[in-house]
Amino acid sequence: MMKTFKMYLEFTRKSFQRSAAYRVDSWSRIIGNIMSLGIWGCIWFALYHGHDSVENISFQSMLSYILISMALQGIHNAGTPLWEIQYRVRTGDIAFEMLRPYDYPLRMLFTDLGSISFHFVTAILPLYIVIFALFQPDIPLSASQWGLFILSAALGYLIRYSLELTFGLFTFWLIETGGVEDVFYFSISLFSGSVVPLWFFPDWLERLASLLPFQGIYFIPNAIFIGELSGQEIWPALLNQVIWLIICYGLLRFVWNKASMKIVVQGG
Amino acid sequence: MLKSCLRGLKIYFYMVGVSIKTQLQYRYAFVMNILGWAMTYAGTAITMWVMLYSFGSIRGWTFWELLFLFALAVLSWSITMVLFFHFHNMDEYIVEGTFDRFLVRPIHPFLHVIALKFDVGAFGQLLFSIVAMIIAYVQLKLNWQFYQWLVFLGAIIGGTLIQGSMLVLISAAAFWTTRSERLFWALMWPARNLMNYPLTVFPRFIQLLVTFLLPFAFVNFLPALTLLDKTKESFDPFWGFFSLPVGIAFFAICFKIWNLGLDHYKSAGS
Repeated sequence: MMKTFKMYLEFTRKSFQRSAAYRVDSWSRIIGNIMSLGIWGCIWFALYHGHDSVENISFQSMLSYILISMALQGIHNAGTPLWEIQYRVRTGDIAFEMLRPYDYPLRMLFTDLGSISFHFVTAILPLYIVIFALFQPDIPLSASQWGLFILSAALGYLIRYSLELTFGLFTFWLIETGGVEDVFYFSISLFSGSVVPLWFFPDWLERLASLLPFQGIYFIPNAIFIGELSGQEIWPALLNQVIWLIICYGLLRFVWNKASMKIVVQGG
Repeated sequence: MLKSCLRGLKIYFYMVGVSIKTQLQYRYAFVMNILGWAMTYAGTAITMWVMLYSFGSIRGWTFWELLFLFALAVLSWSITMVLFFHFHNMDEYIVEGTFDRFLVRPIHPFLHVIALKFDVGAFGQLLFSIVAMIIAYVQLKLNWQFYQWLVFLGAIIGGTLIQGSMLVLISAAAFWTTRSERLFWALMWPARNLMNYPLTVFPRFIQLLVTFLLPFAFVNFLPALTLLDKTKESFDPFWGFFSLPVGIAFFAICFKIWNLGLDHYKSAGS
């Protein structure tokens, strides 16, 4: 058990070192992240122009929301992109992964952990400390709020990871995922509350969003971070994330098993 | 002069015809690609709608006006993509040495590069932008005068030229550095995101930058002021008339820079 864990950690270590070697990649990613933040910051500032608070959310809270949301998105984006998984399926490289004595979904998770921790320590963390110090938005005040936020953000990461990898594995059947992929990305970006929090949705859409797994990715951790979800309200939200994580992970396992049976190496 | 122009056009259409045929080879991928693009843009429009649901307007622009602004940018961008999009990875031709082959052929290398591809997948965006624009036109109860139709036409041609010139300019960087793809993502991606919203949302220096240096404001924001009769903005609506001349001038400058790069180019080596 301990030995297996050590083997997976080795992937994390290697990928951390690999990220350190590709500096330019890291830089362009962080510049992209800053520009997104700038654009969305301006848009929310303009939207709040002339309003003190909308749906009981003040501009101060919203600023904090968008900042933490962009920081989390920066972390999520440092993982292996979907197209790379699809590329491996299309080229047949995935077959080599299956021959090796490890579990592919777990190995990918640990590999991503390496590039993410590198990106987090060298770029996201210093950058956002400076930005938070400059704008001084609301931040969690107690250690327990910080702890719950980190727990919730980690659950959100795992939910997104399971969903995205599951989707990537659909390439085994679909080969070309064009249109479906765009709907998938759109659902993640809208229903996760990545740029527009669920509070501002029309009621019917908010109800729909609360029935989907995506809100656990950014919306719940963000809401805990800015203190909009607090006290007793946090527990059902975290429970929601845990339940969705179990479902999404189960789905990933199911699809992975089916895909392993169904492997078609093209052009072989 | 006229004869060589005609010969150029003939070659262009022939090469483009071949490119279209190759893309139509994979029917399923082709349809999925078009659908995918249309849905991506519809997704952005839905996000805008959700965002404005609680707020009503952004800097005085309602959802339908915003949709119009967005659709106008997508309209000219889709034509830009059809004609110019492959310029963004011209660096690949340079790195792989394929570009050197273009130099020994009896046509201008620029004509050769532009004729390499005719991206039919971008029709998905065209489809989206036309549908969105018609909906916005009806919802806003617009009734354009003749001069406004001219401004509209000028915005489409001018906008295509401006964005196409940007791609040409970015690709020219590859003559000096052999790399341009990253520059494309660093410049075009944020510029195109800025254009989805009224320029007055952004700080003054950005407004000046995209009006006078990289004239993206002439693609959709300034013509939209004229087309939507918006008179209470910090820009006068008469600015909208200049999309076409600005597009032509910007294209001439970028084409010149591309040629300068070509003169400077000394192959990728080895």
